Amino acid sequence: MKKALIVLALFLLVPVLFVTAADKKKLTLWYPAGDITATSMPFREGTDPWAQFEADNNVQVDVVAIDYDTMQQKLFTALAGGKAPDIGMIDFSWMGGFIKDGALVAIPAADAKTWMSSVSPDTVAVSDWGGGKMYGYSTWGVDAYALTWNKDMFKAAGLDPNVAPKYWADFRATSKKTAVTDSTGKLTRVGYAMRHTGQPHGIVDKWHWLLVGAGMQLNSDQFALKGGVAKINLPDVRDGLQMAHDMVWVDKSSSLDFPDPRQALLSKIASMQISELVSITVRQPTEAPDLVWGFSAPPSPRAGMDPKVQVAAWNYSVFTQSKEQALALKAVAWFNNKDNDYNQAKKYNSTPRYKENWAREPFASAPSTKSFLDLVKYGTTYPRSLALNGILDAVGAAVPKILHNEATVADALSLAEQQANDAIKALQ
Amino acid sequence: MHGILGTIRKNRWHYAYLFILPILVVFGLFRIYPSIQTLVYSFFDINLVAKTMHGVGLKNFLLLVHDPTFLKAIKNTLTFALYIVVLSTALGLILASLFTSKLRGGAIFKAVYFAPFITSTVAAAVVWTFLYNPRFGLFNSVLEIFGLPTRSWISSSKEALGSIIIFSIWKTVGYNMVILIAGLQNIPDSFYEAGIIDGAGALRRFFSISVPLVAPTLIFVVMYNTILALKVFDQVFVLTAGGPAEATTVVVLQIYKQAFENYRFGYAASMAFVLFVIIIAITIIQYRLSRRWEVSY
Repeated sequence: MKKALIVLALFLLVPVLFVTAADKKKLTLWYPAGDITATSMPFREGTDPWAQFEADNNVQVDVVAIDYDTMQQKLFTALAGGKAPDIGMIDFSWMGGFIKDGALVAIPAADAKTWMSSVSPDTVAVSDWGGGKMYGYSTWGVDAYALTWNKDMFKAAGLDPNVAPKYWADFRATSKKTAVTDSTGKLTRVGYAMRHTGQPHGIVDKWHWLLVGAGMQLNSDQFALKGGVAKINLPDVRDGLQMAHDMVWVDKSSSLDFPDPRQALLSKIASMQISELVSITVRQPTEAPDLVWGFSAPPSPRAGMDPKVQVAAWNYSVFTQSKEQALALKAVAWFNNKDNDYNQAKKYNSTPRYKENWAREPFASAPSTKSFLDLVKYGTTYPRSLALNGILDAVGAAVPKILHNEATVADALSLAEQQANDAIKALQ
Repeated sequence: MHGILGTIRKNRWHYAYLFILPILVVFGLFRIYPSIQTLVYSFFDINLVAKTMHGVGLKNFLLLVHDPTFLKAIKNTLTFALYIVVLSTALGLILASLFTSKLRGGAIFKAVYFAPFITSTVAAAVVWTFLYNPRFGLFNSVLEIFGLPTRSWISSSKEALGSIIIFSIWKTVGYNMVILIAGLQNIPDSFYEAGIIDGAGALRRFFSISVPLVAPTLIFVVMYNTILALKVFDQVFVLTAGGPAEATTVVVLQIYKQAFENYRFGYAASMAFVLFVIIIAITIIQYRLSRRWEVSY
């Protein structure tokens, strides 16, 4: 009899469970899998960063890891099929393409205004799509592309371990001094590890310091979604890329056999590299705990010219195909609120976005805070052009051609300029 | 009754079509229709997200002619196909000849050579990226052991296409071998016995008996390898993504990039159509030539 009552109770409970489940709304978030960005750490760990929001709003947030290399394409395919996720953690350089197709929801004007007035200038720089318009909240740990170096290697080469090369000529000389060859003359450690393979976007990211530092304008109008001109084949850019080429083929202080700069620094087979600071910061303690390293702005062409630090970020954006747009907007606003910003940046030993959080400990007195703020003073971002994909493809294809002797510097840049401007014109 | 049976007998072909109708529908839906749709798309600018398309005439095809990356992709694809067809078929034939004769442990070797064919291309290519690593890879370690100069493999624009060809030969040679073994085993022993009586050596028997009589199978292998090679994508995508410096970019990779990275579906469709024409043209030429080597015994 007792058993029968239990079975009956369970039977009666089933519809109740279904009703409860049906009431609960669901949001789907796609984020890049693997260690492509340290800012996806909250989703890769066991704890659920959405737990509080889910409890407060009776919602379930499903986080889905997507392979980075094909994530942009998968999002696009999902959009074409009408099955986009509600929220995407997306790369800044992809946003133009999605906005062009009307795929991203603009953050409500009032929220955008509050955000812009609350966050630090580097975050404003990667959030503003012109006139304060926003299409997503940039993550903590802004991607500032810095020169990072191995202090022990500098010391062993007779260099001041605390001083980074400031200008191209010093940089080239430092690379020569810190490169190491074995008895057969084979390079076993590069002075500077350079990226030359992979997606064109990634290649431009890693060479932004040299290209934009030399005056390259991916689009003459930083905030024009359409129009503008790409100025690529410029004298200083040609000189810079010739220098990079000669570091491989003349100085032999760099090599095309070390294609992953960050890994090369962490594996101690490179004394310098230039890429996202946040990656080295997050990866170094576990992957190379005994590495003593420093960071600074990348070198500028010569005295009198400022360095350029590429500032980029991943963004939490809401897709227009979301059936729960209001809830999704509420979710991304919550996830990027001041407290979450502070807690996550602190937890992952990274940089916050809110000005108030910069003033709180441990950020206020951390030795790296001043260095970081000094670094992002030189921050520049990609133009908002909807043709950014095409522009980056063109420039990203030119750099490896030069490094691999597949084209002269002038020819490669000339073609890139033509292709980039064709991409801009195609959208007019 | 007699009349009905007579009608059925007379119109038997109706029934034949009825029986193959399901596969015709499936083939039409998933092969013919998308092919026609691709051709139609190649005359349009298409935005699949905004669901808009507008006609551009031959613009996409004219752009192709002036697109240096596409032209490089065509060149790379044809070079890749040439090497794969020649080397993979030749190696397959040599292995097939070895395994047709009585060889101790032949079955094990056959399985070993065939294994790469049934391995996922993507998974195998991921493993080969490690083997090809210029600093820590197995291939360079072996070269170093023998005191030979190391290579940059997929990190060099000069060596990357060759590296992909080596991988692809490793991947396809087993299949060619199995098909050619079947072809060689169909040749009656009496031909070889006659050759031996006439004093023909092993090499002579191979070139004068085996090769001409296995020609139909060989032609099938050549055509199959050609079509497969012209459609190469997976290993390029995983090993090099078309780089370095576009040294390994191929037509299907360009189609993928234009469609899913640059969202230019019309342009990608025009590339696909050009590839389709190239494949059809080469296949027809090969088929016509193959008729010269038809044999019956």
